[in-house]
Amino acid sequence: MTNSIAELEDAACIFIIGSNTTEAHPLVANRILRAKQKGAKLIVADPRKIHIAEFADIHLSHRLGSDVALINGIMHVILAEGWEAKDYIASRTEGFEALERVVRGYTPEKVSGITGVPAEQIRAVAEAYARSASSSIVYAMGITQHTTGVDNVKSLANLAMLCGRIGVECGGVNPLRGQNNVQGACDMGALPNVLPGYQKVTDEAARKKFEQAWGVALPSEVGLTVMKMMNGLHAGSVRALYVMGENPAMSDPNSHHVREALSRAELLVVQDITLTETTEYAHAVLPGVSFAEKDGTFTNTERRVQRVRKGIEPVGDSREDGWILCELSRRLGHAMELEPASELMDEIAGLTPSYGGMRYDRLEAFGLQWPCPDAEHPGTKYLHKDKFARGRGLFHAIEYQPPAEACDDEYPMQLTTGRSFVHFHTGTMTRRSPSLDEEQKDPFVQMHPEDAEAHGISPPGQVKVITRRGSISLEAKLSARIPKGMLFIPFHFAEAAANLLTIDALDPIAGIPEYKVCAARVERE
Amino acid sequence: MRELLKTRVAEMLREGRVDGVVGLIESHGEPLPYLFTADDTAALERISTGELQGRLAELIPGVVRYPLGKILTAVARKHPDKRFGVMCRACDERVVFGLFQNLQLDPDKVEILGLPCKEELARACSCPAPAPRSAIVDQPSREAWDRADLERIDAMALDERFAFWVEELGRCIKCYGCRNACPVCFCDVCTLQDDGLVKKGEIPAELPAFQLTRAWHMVGRCVDCGLCQEACPMDIPIRTIYRKVRSIVGELFDYFPGERDGGKSPLEQLGDGSFPIQ
Repeated sequence: MTNSIAELEDAACIFIIGSNTTEAHPLVANRILRAKQKGAKLIVADPRKIHIAEFADIHLSHRLGSDVALINGIMHVILAEGWEAKDYIASRTEGFEALERVVRGYTPEKVSGITGVPAEQIRAVAEAYARSASSSIVYAMGITQHTTGVDNVKSLANLAMLCGRIGVECGGVNPLRGQNNVQGACDMGALPNVLPGYQKVTDEAARKKFEQAWGVALPSEVGLTVMKMMNGLHAGSVRALYVMGENPAMSDPNSHHVREALSRAELLVVQDITLTETTEYAHAVLPGVSFAEKDGTFTNTERRVQRVRKGIEPVGDSREDGWILCELSRRLGHAMELEPASELMDEIAGLTPSYGGMRYDRLEAFGLQWPCPDAEHPGTKYLHKDKFARGRGLFHAIEYQPPAEACDDEYPMQLTTGRSFVHFHTGTMTRRSPSLDEEQKDPFVQMHPEDAEAHGISPPGQVKVITRRGSISLEAKLSARIPKGMLFIPFHFAEAAANLLTIDALDPIAGIPEYKVCAARVERE
Repeated sequence: MRELLKTRVAEMLREGRVDGVVGLIESHGEPLPYLFTADDTAALERISTGELQGRLAELIPGVVRYPLGKILTAVARKHPDKRFGVMCRACDERVVFGLFQNLQLDPDKVEILGLPCKEELARACSCPAPAPRSAIVDQPSREAWDRADLERIDAMALDERFAFWVEELGRCIKCYGCRNACPVCFCDVCTLQDDGLVKKGEIPAELPAFQLTRAWHMVGRCVDCGLCQEACPMDIPIRTIYRKVRSIVGELFDYFPGERDGGKSPLEQLGDGSFPIQ
């Protein structure tokens, strides 16, 4: 998040897009609903009338994957009305003219045709977002999990800069991270192209610094994204895979292909706290530990680094992840000592400028938000104040592109996937919780009652959902919250795994798969 | 107060009056529930009354509370032959008395260490009966029960009241936090998870089935400690519902759970109350 969770409470306007906030990020949702109670305008853009949409002043039910067109349409109105932040654009940004040229083509009427959203609603959103005293954008995977994921994020940045909403209190572009420490994992360089603190592996000076600190030679080439690893395994160019705390057999798109790839690995090692669908393909399973069994830090969605403390000793034969890595390294011929977590943090601070001032004694109570470059720095509530990381904020002129897979006669409906409030991700933890399991035991597909009627489905009816990748059988839940022609399946359930159906078409820049839209059909069982 | 509490707990354990004391221990500046025992003298140095220290105290007003009565019930079930002490603010003490009344704890096996709350804290909590009866120090009498929240809602027209509750309860994300924090929710099987009564797998929790089911189960039980509302991540004023229930039961049956010794919940009486309850 460019801004902080608590700031949402004081925003005058909040624009949620592609985030099922109450179900997936309830504590953030609480801040948003508090803002609403204080009189904030709430806009929710989601094809489904999700729970938080009930509280919205405006709910936009735009078509799956039409986000760029929708945002361009909003910007078109803002420019046509002269509501843009002219001084901010002049003093803090560049590339505005190119944006203006592209956006000029996206009249509300044209955008209405692409998105299915009435032109009047687009105008109302433009006014609320541009003219409120402060406006925050909140998004999640509904924005990123598309072949146009990067375009979608850039479009939101365009909108925010157009109205001078970045680098200010209660503003910003705020992605809600889907895991408690995914921000921390990225910060620490668990990405194919960067070292800790987003220092590029291709930057020789950065690489040298780490080589010196670690006493080893580091690769100078960008590594593989997850999907490239899977395709590599499938094709034979990747021979071994070490998976830590992930369940790609369930969580990656087009699971048939993924499972084939996993079964072709010459060596598959999986480190996790439970057996999963992925460990079924593993040659070795290394038992790691849960949050309660280790010391360290988690970095949350607002860049806040917080302590996690060992409450109990590792259960059974499990070992701390750091211990496993050190032991593996030692046996492979490079001795590494597992240092106490506080010393690791000192090392991180020494090598990662944005974590430079983070020491354990400063993390007590509330933690610190990066960037926190030195021992006196109080941490950073919101980013890009006065200046962007690159200097001026760059507008990107972006044209709308439809999703990778269009509907046709054979697959006339659109399928989207996501989470339910009951379970987390592939259910490896939550489906083992008796009370959560009790709340939602079985997989389901949400569909509109009229679609169900057209297919002769009446609840509780089992249906088959079919795409070009596969088919699954599950219960139909009828709801008018979902538009006609659309299906929603949560991806928590191995026995009817949504990702057997999803498409592995990728965003060309980030490599993120298009989990959020593909063509499908439904049949009565 | 902390020093006195420490002395009293040490005394109880040393003299063997109890086998353990359920209270709070300070860990990294934050109070956590803990079972103090005689052989664990180091822990006693970190005993806490729930007040926060340092920077946390500046940012979080009041004291940190846990359902200590609920924790005591779990510990006592596990060790039915042992005697336990329990640190109680007035709210916790009502809980423990309520649990005596509902036969979940044995009064002969529990010793209460009552901590009076400061006036501003009692007021901030709208505490209905702020003075614990088994206090370890003398305490000034305190004013009881601010009814402003009930009066505000009672004053609303029916339509308005209905709209108010639909809006408030519509935020419920069905985390069950109210039930889980509730120290007098002790049933092994929970009606809130009964398929036939409350629909599963959807938010908000089925309206009004979920909340009314819970409210009805608070009859003769709720001691108005307010932990449910503290636990609610969506700021729903659920305590007000149970206060209403409590006030109705009080008016009709002159029964205030946890406030007096003995007595039976109206739900456990048949006719004139002479029918024996097993």
